[in-house]
Amino acid sequence: MTNMAETLTKPETSINEMLDRPWITIVWDDPVNLMTYVTYVLIKLFGFSKERAHELMMQVHTEGRAVVSSGTREAMELDVQRLHEHGLWATLQRDDKI
Amino acid sequence: MSSFEKIGEGYSLDLTLDEAQILINLVEQLLELLGEGDFFHHYDSTDPLAQLLAMPAEIVTPEDPVLLRLLPNAYADPEAASDFRRYTEPQLRDAKQKNLRLVREELTILVDEKHGGVIEELDAQIWLAAINDLRIALSVRLEITEDSFEKFELLSEQDPQKPVYAVYFWLGWLQENLLGLLT
Repeated sequence: MTNMAETLTKPETSINEMLDRPWITIVWDDPVNLMTYVTYVLIKLFGFSKERAHELMMQVHTEGRAVVSSGTREAMELDVQRLHEHGLWATLQRDDKI
Repeated sequence: MSSFEKIGEGYSLDLTLDEAQILINLVEQLLELLGEGDFFHHYDSTDPLAQLLAMPAEIVTPEDPVLLRLLPNAYADPEAASDFRRYTEPQLRDAKQKNLRLVREELTILVDEKHGGVIEELDAQIWLAAINDLRIALSVRLEITEDSFEKFELLSEQDPQKPVYAVYFWLGWLQENLLGLLT
């Protein structure tokens, strides 16, 4: 017989963990978008400082990807949509890290 | 060489007739690929209920690699990507078409009058996005990689791809020029 108290508390913790785990927006590297353009779009869409936008752009360029925002799924979907409007290659997913 | 200029708060672009014709051809090709007009009977209503009723059951992931790059999957998971596409692709397509149509309108004046000239008081954000989409479209067709500029320089003058590469790099130069004025 299953201990009801245990099954009730344990999954609850993991669900909470899952709910707390944010969604993230990832920008992927491509050989087309100009470095200056990527920096410009990141400042325009996310209000980053010039330094932070440059840092993220360099991360995309050297590591192939960078996380540019995190939050609710709805908010990340909106971010991805805006990035696509500007021609950047972006996807969203749950944050890998717990 | 033609370039963007900032005059006061406004932006202008000086083009030769040849350049205007090259640009308008590219814009029209991309508009055609994006299916100009196709989506309008479904999505031009601002009434949310009409938009909901017009919502297609599914929008197929584009097979053309240019379209797939311009209207990419938002999720690695095919089902989530398909759902997202169903709700957002029409707006994304529409936004890109709107930019291109405006650029075409401004180029038409030069091309119809058969001379080069200055496009004044242009919307820099729209031109920036449109030029970027044109570069993306060309890059997919040319299979651009990080070392394509070296490849371009080594191509013989007779190579039929040479002028296409030249246009691609010219657009990059033009975009960099506009970005320089915006930042």
